Amino acid sequence: MKPETLELTIGWLYPKLMSTYGDRGNVICLQRRCQWRQIQVSVIPLDQQQSPQVFEQVDLIVGGGAQDRQQAIVMNDLDGAKAEALQATIEKGIPGVFTCGSPQLLGHYYEPKLGKRIEGLSLLDLITTHPGEATPRCIGNIVFEITASPLAEELKAMIGRNPIVIGFENHGGRTYLDDVQALGKVIKGYGNNGEDGSEGAFYRHAIATYAHGPLLPKNPFLADWLIQTALREKYQETITLTKVNDTLVKKARNGMLKRLDLTNLLNKE
Amino acid sequence: MLKSLRLTLAIITGKMIIALVKGLDLGAGSVLPGAIALRLAPELLSVLCAQITQGVILVCGTNGKTTTSLLLRQMLNQQGYRVVHNETGANLVNGLTTALLSQANWRAKFTADYGILEVDENILPLILEPCQPKYILALNLFRDQLDRYGEVDSISQRWQQAIASLAPDTKVILNGDDPTLAYLGQQLKQKVLFFGLNEPDIYLESIPYATDSTYCPNCGHSLDYQGVYLSHQGDFNCSNCGFTKPTLAINSSEWPQVLMGVYNKYNTLGAALVALNVGVEPTAIKEAIAKFKPAFGRAETLTIEGKTVKILLAKNPVGMNETIRAVQQDSKDYPPVTLIVLNDRTPDGTDVSWIWDVDTEFITQLQGKIIVSGDRVYDLALRFEYSEPSPHYLQVENNLSIALDIALKATETNSTLYILPTYSAMLEVRQLLTGKKIL
Repeated sequence: MKPETLELTIGWLYPKLMSTYGDRGNVICLQRRCQWRQIQVSVIPLDQQQSPQVFEQVDLIVGGGAQDRQQAIVMNDLDGAKAEALQATIEKGIPGVFTCGSPQLLGHYYEPKLGKRIEGLSLLDLITTHPGEATPRCIGNIVFEITASPLAEELKAMIGRNPIVIGFENHGGRTYLDDVQALGKVIKGYGNNGEDGSEGAFYRHAIATYAHGPLLPKNPFLADWLIQTALREKYQETITLTKVNDTLVKKARNGMLKRLDLTNLLNKE
Repeated sequence: MLKSLRLTLAIITGKMIIALVKGLDLGAGSVLPGAIALRLAPELLSVLCAQITQGVILVCGTNGKTTTSLLLRQMLNQQGYRVVHNETGANLVNGLTTALLSQANWRAKFTADYGILEVDENILPLILEPCQPKYILALNLFRDQLDRYGEVDSISQRWQQAIASLAPDTKVILNGDDPTLAYLGQQLKQKVLFFGLNEPDIYLESIPYATDSTYCPNCGHSLDYQGVYLSHQGDFNCSNCGFTKPTLAINSSEWPQVLMGVYNKYNTLGAALVALNVGVEPTAIKEAIAKFKPAFGRAETLTIEGKTVKILLAKNPVGMNETIRAVQQDSKDYPPVTLIVLNDRTPDGTDVSWIWDVDTEFITQLQGKIIVSGDRVYDLALRFEYSEPSPHYLQVENNLSIALDIALKATETNSTLYILPTYSAMLEVRQLLTGKKIL
């Protein structure tokens, strides 16, 4: 298929409420990488004004982090039909990327040390607990290798090396996985809980991670995988994406790897 | 007995370190002396504040503290008041103590009518008790350095709890265009006065993306805006609970402003409303506004090789959006040359993801020359690469000295180079440029 005949609709979860750490960068990245390849792309908000049907009509979903007050407004609005629509969309294999606070929202619950447990959507088999304000937050640059299957294999085939994600994490909650794959293995940083070396979660075609930075501009292979998967799900055929110039991001990535003394991971290609 | 001995020791030690740092030219030394002196005598800050005869004025907020404090000081000076002030901008407890100590004599006495202290938003609750301020001026609350400060809501809650314990005659002067602060004002028992804008002709066309508080702080319903002046500051009301922009105690259209940009309108009005309440004559206030020279790096203007260089500190999304708007307005006739410098050291915040909340499109639209530099030069370059429209001219140079040369060369004689640095980058830029001036 010719790229200009391809169309993608990106659904952006509550753009005004869930965008704490430059999360808009993920949407901009997907949008521009489609445009540079002449793929028609549109972005629609999935928020209070939208009907539940629209939640099921998108080709790709992006969700960012929310502050506490905003998270409560989101949970209140998602309750019921919209939550079911979101679940159906993810179950049928629509790709999604959920960063910072939104993985917490997709799990069973978020439990602060004091105060009431906040119920999640139970789309991912994970829980998050907050050990209390006395325990330091997990803050800093994070580097991890994607290990989830078949994502890791598909990415390796795409880029010809092990997929290494570079980002920044800032979370007080600790996430523990049950019957769901971790997205990757921490090389530098805290990850899900700072204990078991796991970071994020991967289910169907949904990527959940604490890494922002934002995630996609700094790790463009993930953006391309999301675009490619969205196209494959929509058109039921594999569409090879044309290359775009990623010189700058290589330099940005290598700069951070050098600073973190991870020179063995430097991308020499 | 022992206590006063310890206090004397703390003062002497602190002042000796200040002298030593100055004598050996070890840099500003604006933090260390206070840190050591406080270690010896934790009550030092309250002892120093008690020496100020008319009282302490605290200036806080995410953006504009340094410019506003300096302006307020000049307004008070204009009326003949003597003022002590932490003018280096060191606004944590140690920095405040150092500033006061350096202006006090060996017996911790100084002759000052007012103390103007700019205070970091996070430590405001900690210093209310020792400072016992007569006035608190709060300029705004924006998203800034989430790796360090946390969320806007939790800061305002901590402020409210802390201010509640102050004397009822404390005057709290707040930006009424900022919904979070307007709500804070309603919760306080102290005397509250609001400043803000009443100039619908300068409304923004739309609410910028980098906006935190468009939800009603009282009931959580979405706020209705008749118009927005800057980020989430504007003319608002809540259709659900009736929460609305409070009545302002100052008419903005009657006052001139300092420097450039809408943000400096707010800074001017905040300082003016405090000065009026202190008892400064309106003519003296206007004179101080007319004579105002900026604090370093805050719309500071230098002349280098026949070219004008404007340094506009841009340390968070709202700050950078507003400096971009100021550049847009200032360079109406020609595409500007802009040097943007992004560092990620502790004073800048170590998380640079905020640049994706900045509307960089407003710079690339101008079709001028963009030069980027700093510790995170490639991350910044990436932000511009993804902007729509794509930059017309983008030069990426990680060496700041070379980047400055490129930017100066790209600027025509009699034209302006705009520099938008983060905090530590601003200090570096100034050092490099003032060094050049000497040569």
